[in-house]
Amino acid sequence: MTEAAAPDTIVVIDDDYAMRLSCSKILSKMGLRVEAFENGARGLEGVAELKPGLVVVDLKMPGISGLEVISRVHEIDPQIIMVVITGYATIDTAVEAMKCGAYDFLPKPFSPDELRMIINRGLDRRRLALASQRGEVERALLKRRFVTFVSHQLRTPLVAIHQYLDVLKHLDQTKDDPARRQEWIDRCLKRTEELQKLITDWLTLARVEGGTLIKERVEVDLKPIISGILTSYEEMAAAEQVSLEAVWPEDALCVWGDRNCVNVLFDNLITNAIKYNKPGGKVTVTGCLSSGEAAIAVADTGVGIPEQYRPFLFDEFFRIKGEGVKRTEGSGLGLHISKQIVSEMGGSIEVESQAGIGSTFRVRLPAWCAPAEDTEMGGWE
Amino acid sequence: MAARVLLIDDDQDFRVSVRSLLETRGYEVLEADSGHEGLRQVLEHKPDVILLDVMMETSVEGYGVTHALRYGEEYAEHRHIPIFLISSIEESPDERFPMSAEVEMIRPDGYFTKPLDIPRFLEVLEKAVS
Repeated sequence: MTEAAAPDTIVVIDDDYAMRLSCSKILSKMGLRVEAFENGARGLEGVAELKPGLVVVDLKMPGISGLEVISRVHEIDPQIIMVVITGYATIDTAVEAMKCGAYDFLPKPFSPDELRMIINRGLDRRRLALASQRGEVERALLKRRFVTFVSHQLRTPLVAIHQYLDVLKHLDQTKDDPARRQEWIDRCLKRTEELQKLITDWLTLARVEGGTLIKERVEVDLKPIISGILTSYEEMAAAEQVSLEAVWPEDALCVWGDRNCVNVLFDNLITNAIKYNKPGGKVTVTGCLSSGEAAIAVADTGVGIPEQYRPFLFDEFFRIKGEGVKRTEGSGLGLHISKQIVSEMGGSIEVESQAGIGSTFRVRLPAWCAPAEDTEMGGWE
Repeated sequence: MAARVLLIDDDQDFRVSVRSLLETRGYEVLEADSGHEGLRQVLEHKPDVILLDVMMETSVEGYGVTHALRYGEEYAEHRHIPIFLISSIEESPDERFPMSAEVEMIRPDGYFTKPLDIPRFLEVLEKAVS
């Protein structure tokens, strides 16, 4: 942003020549650009032209009063910081000025240090205000983008379903083809499932933002959960000509966590590994316990993730697009949600990938250990 | 001879249903799932009319394809092929076809919104190929 690069401009409005001169000197030495004006009318013209970050104004001036200057400056730009200079006799007016929107006041006489301090504070305040305003703009843009994105994502499957049904209605009934009709009904069902999954993911995203995915912290054995997921995807994997395998230690693989979240996490990783694989490929899940952690790896033999995309892999709505990239259905939220689950459970997730060989997602979660026996508690008495 | 329609759209289900509809009306249908593939098919199969989704998730989007067809050297002999843009109906009328300046430049022969209004779609298409 240009505001950060250009020096801040300060406008000084005071009818006292000596005051204008000394303020200008002190502020120039601070590396600021200073313009001084001898009355309110001139000062307001200067503010309109120079768009300063901060205005120093004397409260007691002939012509337009300091108080009026404050409100008129804020009509020009409410973000301009106003500092008022006032004599001891006019402290009440200074309070009045603060009520009118002045940021702070400087009682006369004041030292160069006092002036510098108040100006620096005012400028800091302005930077904060501008930054938060920019933040709001960014959030508004993001929200708008989200709405556009979500409506596009929702509409695509809906349009496909609608089009099937409408074409079925318009096709010549005497040439009805039962096999085709059945196939289209199946596709419509598939697309409604896709819609359901999208909605589930978005609802989960709403919880991600609240940081409330984890509902419990209990002992969870990963082996039966992951085995269950693998069994449930056998059919899907067979259709993609991908084989599924798990390599475990004999003992249980227990972590501290939320059973439901663990299920969502490995469901995401395993379905990705199937979807982004290639015919004849393999998905291997390995797990072991080491130094207080359960380490689980989900490896595929797919095309791999190009290096330039890896930093964005866990971002919300990120999906790799382009020619030659396998087109799959999904919300672009799976990995974002997975990362959130892992971090809420106090673990980590990372990815290794090699072009043409495949990708491996490595998850580490705190291993479960039996709570210490209460015998030591006796020693507290 | 059957008129040849090239349908460029990245949603397979949409292509399947529209293909059936058009085939029962005597059209020959070519499909492309991306802008690049669409451009390749134009050169290879010389369609009589092009239906093009403007919101595809591929690197060459609908507008890029139309632009290439209208101004690209290698497509000079195909410049006359009518192009119809297809897009989902957006919430506000001014968002119906975004980037209107670009649309103006590529001068499409018409627009359809998804889902298609089938009677109107067939009527307009028939006029375009006759």
